[in-house]
Amino acid sequence: MSAPASDARERSWTSAVRDHVAGLVPEGQALPDRQPAYVSSWIYVFGVATLAALVVVVGSGVVLAMGGAAWWHTSGLGHFVNSVHLWSVELFFAAMVVHLWGKFWMAAWRGNRGLTWVTGVVSFITSIGAAFTGYLVQSNFDSQWISGEAKDGINSIGVGGFFNVLNTGQMLLWHVTLLPIGVGIIAVMHVILVRRHGVVPPLDDEAEEVAR
Amino acid sequence: MGIAFTAGKYIHWGVVSISLTNFLIIVGMIVIFALALVLPFPGAHQQQPQQHKPDEDES
Repeated sequence: MSAPASDARERSWTSAVRDHVAGLVPEGQALPDRQPAYVSSWIYVFGVATLAALVVVVGSGVVLAMGGAAWWHTSGLGHFVNSVHLWSVELFFAAMVVHLWGKFWMAAWRGNRGLTWVTGVVSFITSIGAAFTGYLVQSNFDSQWISGEAKDGINSIGVGGFFNVLNTGQMLLWHVTLLPIGVGIIAVMHVILVRRHGVVPPLDDEAEEVAR
Repeated sequence: MGIAFTAGKYIHWGVVSISLTNFLIIVGMIVIFALALVLPFPGAHQQQPQQHKPDEDES
């Protein structure tokens, strides 16, 4: 009786998902408390700075969502939260671009890290879409001008039939649901891959890495 | 008209046109990038060299 029950557990999707999640990163690497010596450099700080900014972006965005799209026009608190949202986005992109420069010049796709690099690129592109839709839902003359200019650009690349940047409601829903979910999922994939393969060593350590 | 007057200063260089604010932000990011490469990281000299080999756990 025990053998069939054991087989059933092995075949269940629950155990399959559990095994898959447990094997995503090597044991002890999900939240490591030690890193290689070469990580003791300021250039390795900007990835986690990007993640920290993303947490503030999402947190301030949630508060803004509770107040509504026009809250920041009529409330001092709303204006403050809106400014926190804006400047955390500015920090998010600045940190992400410096992170990108650092990883590009250290050829961070080395050592079977190609997918890590690609998820970073996709995350960057998705973040641009999220920020762009944010500019479209300010409900002021700035957003009106940006959407008017963007409409021509979007139509010129042939995707204007799929969405309308002049549709504030559509862009607001994309901004608060679709794109944040997309950025979040890709960012999680990126971090898992970093933890799975480890932080890329400096170029002068490449010979050592190839040897192991 | 007031909005147009407060639109900020722009730098024009051939076909390139960029606001002074954006230009200064990009310069600042480059400076931060350069400083990140040369400034010593606090406590870096106290750590013992070690290697992190998570890939070895994979087949």
